[in-house]
Amino acid sequence: MAALVRISYVCHRGVSPLLFRSSSLIRPLAVQKDRDCPYHLISAKIHATPSNYAGSGSKAASLHWTGERILSIALLGLAPMAYFYPVPAVDYTLAAALTLHGHWGLGQVLTDYVHGDSKIKMANAGLFLLSSVTFAGLCYFNYHDVGICKAVALLWSK
Amino acid sequence: MALLLRTVARQGLCSSRLQLAVLYRHAVPMGTTAKEEMDKFWNKNTRLNRPVSPHISIYQWSVPMMLSISHRGTGVALSSGISAFALAALVLPESYPHYLDLIHSMSFGPQFLAFSKFALAFPVAFHTFNGIRHLLWDLGKGFKIPEVYRSGYIVIALTVLTSIGLAAM
Repeated sequence: MAALVRISYVCHRGVSPLLFRSSSLIRPLAVQKDRDCPYHLISAKIHATPSNYAGSGSKAASLHWTGERILSIALLGLAPMAYFYPVPAVDYTLAAALTLHGHWGLGQVLTDYVHGDSKIKMANAGLFLLSSVTFAGLCYFNYHDVGICKAVALLWSK
Repeated sequence: MALLLRTVARQGLCSSRLQLAVLYRHAVPMGTTAKEEMDKFWNKNTRLNRPVSPHISIYQWSVPMMLSISHRGTGVALSSGISAFALAALVLPESYPHYLDLIHSMSFGPQFLAFSKFALAFPVAFHTFNGIRHLLWDLGKGFKIPEVYRSGYIVIALTVLTSIGLAAM
């Protein structure tokens, strides 16, 4: 059972500033709502996520998330570009954006379904290999063949 | 019953209303990350060879659920398709126009061609529109349940219309 308490109330009682700026998830707690005794002194473990918490200081995950969204928006913009301006620059940008978007997407799928340290490592290594080959293949196609934009146009022409 | 009240404390917006009849005097930040805890969970449960409780086999399916897994499914399918294409480009000896002429020479009927275009366009369109829906959620918009369903139906409608439109091109 998890319960979140309005930090403001906690502030009122004078808790350290560490908790002041955080959204907290309070760990399992047996809460007794007692009419006679409304206040319980309970020791609770919380996940505190203020930026000044030195626990696992890395912003890598958060930055990754933001990067994924920015790439998605970029890919959305590339689609009309590919239609109206089918030039090599767009071909290579499309190759990079599609591969990276797919790489990150499949990465999330692996994170969800693969468990166990060595399995995770192997799966991620395999994914990296696949994405590298994909990017190499698309660049090869762009250079030695008609290119992605033209390929789609030709496919649709018949 | 899990009671989740998401609260963010902001400087200067302190209100003194009590949400729950609990007073926290000693709150200690946890020493483990979420990932570490998840790993502990999976390690323990696989070590003890515990069966997984039925979940997707018993839970009633809803439209948002189906759209969500379809988003993942189309994503994986499209990514696999792109990888297959890239691999083919590296491995096959002839050029793209050569293989395209090969397909043209097979004289498929126009309905079959139109259907194939529809089949290619559909996952792209769906993943794109549902992706926009996801990005709107990331901006914090459209989380109310009626809104979730409404945006879902709009995605389906746009997908079908776009795929038909693209197949006709």
